[in-house]
Amino acid sequence: MARLNTPVARILLGLIVPVLILFWWQAQSAQGGARALAFVPLQEVGATLVAQLASGFLLNDALATLSRAVTGLVLGGLAGTALGVAMAMSRPLDRVVGPLYHAVRQVPLLGWLPLIGLWVGNGDEAKLLIVSLAAFYPTVLNSYEGVRTVEQRYVEVARLFGFSAGQRFVHVLLPAALPLILTGVAQALAFAWIATIGTEMLFGANAGLGATMGVAQAQQRMDIILVAILAAASLGFTLHYSIASLRRHLLRWQPVIH
Amino acid sequence: MNHLTRIAAGLAPLFGLLLLWQLASASGVFPPQVLVPPSEVGATLAQLWRNGELWDHLGTSLFRLVFGFLAGAAIGLAFGTAIALSRLLEALFAPLFQAVRQVPVLAFIPMLVLLLGIEERFKIVVVAVAVFFPVALAAFDGVRGIPKSYFEVARLYRTPALPFVTRILLPAAIPPVLTGLRLGLTRGWLVLVACELLAADSGIGQMMEMGRQMFRIDVVLAGVFVSGLVGFFLDRSVKLVERRFVRWKEA
Repeated sequence: MARLNTPVARILLGLIVPVLILFWWQAQSAQGGARALAFVPLQEVGATLVAQLASGFLLNDALATLSRAVTGLVLGGLAGTALGVAMAMSRPLDRVVGPLYHAVRQVPLLGWLPLIGLWVGNGDEAKLLIVSLAAFYPTVLNSYEGVRTVEQRYVEVARLFGFSAGQRFVHVLLPAALPLILTGVAQALAFAWIATIGTEMLFGANAGLGATMGVAQAQQRMDIILVAILAAASLGFTLHYSIASLRRHLLRWQPVIH
Repeated sequence: MNHLTRIAAGLAPLFGLLLLWQLASASGVFPPQVLVPPSEVGATLAQLWRNGELWDHLGTSLFRLVFGFLAGAAIGLAFGTAIALSRLLEALFAPLFQAVRQVPVLAFIPMLVLLLGIEERFKIVVVAVAVFFPVALAAFDGVRGIPKSYFEVARLYRTPALPFVTRILLPAAIPPVLTGLRLGLTRGWLVLVACELLAADSGIGQMMEMGRQMFRIDVVLAGVFVSGLVGFFLDRSVKLVERRFVRWKEA
C-alpha cells in the first residue's frame, strides 16, 4: 500500500480510468452510424478545440460568460451582503424582510426564467437579473449569520472604549463577520456560474459558453459541446481557486482552525 | 414567543406583500399582461387543480425527481463510501471525480440530450447526475470522518462486516450524508425544472414555459408558486430527518 503514496504512482493510477473511458469513447465512435453522431471521434474534438481557439470563438464565448458571471456576482453579492448585514443589525427589518426572503428563495432559481422572460424579455438584463439573484441568496444568508454570530463581548468592549456606532461597525463587526461573508461569496460564485451557463442556454445570447452549447445541441455538434464543457469547467475551477486564495489573503490574520 | 405567534409574525409580511400586489394591480397602473392580481393567480391555480392539469404536471415532475434522486443518491452513496474506504479505489477514481465535479451541472444537459434524446430517460439521468455529486462528496467526507479508532476496536472485537456497517459506520456517517442528500435534492429539483423549461411535454417547468409562450402570466405565477412550495417541502422534510439524527448525537 505504501507504494500508492508516491506522487508518480498516484498520477498514473488517476489516469487509468480516464484513459479507459477515452478508449471506450473512441471505440464507440468507430462503430459509425447513429452512434458516431453522439460519440464524436476524439481527434475531431481536438481539431474543434484548436479551431475554436485559433478563430477566437472560444475566447469570445469565455469572456462573455465570465463578464456576465462576474457582473452578476458583484451586483448580487453587494446587494445580498448589504441586506444580510442590515437584517442582522435591525430587528424590525429582519421581521419584515426575513420571511419574504425565505419564501422567495424556495423557488428553484431557473423557475423564475419564464416570469422574467415575460417582464424583462430575454436580453442581457434578464440574464444579469437571474445571475445576480443566484449570487444574492447565499450572500444574504451568510452575511446575516456572520454578523449575528459576532461575539457580543467584542461589541461591548468597543462601546466601553468609546467607539462610535460607525467605528464599531467598521472595526469590530465587519472584520468579525468577514469569514462567513466570504464563505457566502464563494458559494455565490458557484451559483452565479451555474446560473450564467443556464440562462445563456435557455435564453440564448450573442456570445457565451452556455449559448454556444445550446446552439450546438440543436445542430447535434457534440465536439463543440465537449469543448464548451471543458472551457466551462476549467474557467469555473480557476474562478473558484481565485476566490479561495482571495479569501485566504483577506483572512491571513485569522488563526488556522482545523 | 410561542410557536403560533411566531408563525403568524412570519406570515404577516407575506400577506402584506400580497395585499400590496393586489392593490397595485387594482390601481390599473400596470397592464394586465405585466401584473395580474394574486386573486387571479389563485383562481387559475384552483382551476388547474380542479381540471387535474396541475396534478398531471406535478405528478410527472415528482416522478422524475424521485427516480432520479433515488438512482443518483444510491450510486453516489456507494461511490463515495467505496473511495473513502479503499485507498486504491480513491487513487483510481478521485482525480476523475474531482475534475468532472468542476463542470456546472447544467452544462451536462446538451451532452446528455445528444446521448439519450429528450425522453423520460434523459430527465431522470440529469437529475441523477445532479444528485450524485453532492451525495458522493458527503458520503466520502462522512465515512472519512469516522475516527480510525472505531475501525481498530471493531477489528479487535472481530465485529462481523454487516453489523459493523449498520451499527457503526452508518450512524457515524449519517449526519453529513443527510446534508449531502438535502443539497442533492435541491439541486435535482433546480436542474429538473431547467430541463422541463428546455425540452419537455409535461411537468411544472413545461407548464410555466407554455404559460410564457401564451403570455399567460397567471399560469407562470401559479407555476412559480407550486415549484416554490415543492422546494420548501423537499427541504423541510430532509431537515426534519436531519434533526432526528442530530438529536441522538447531542444526547
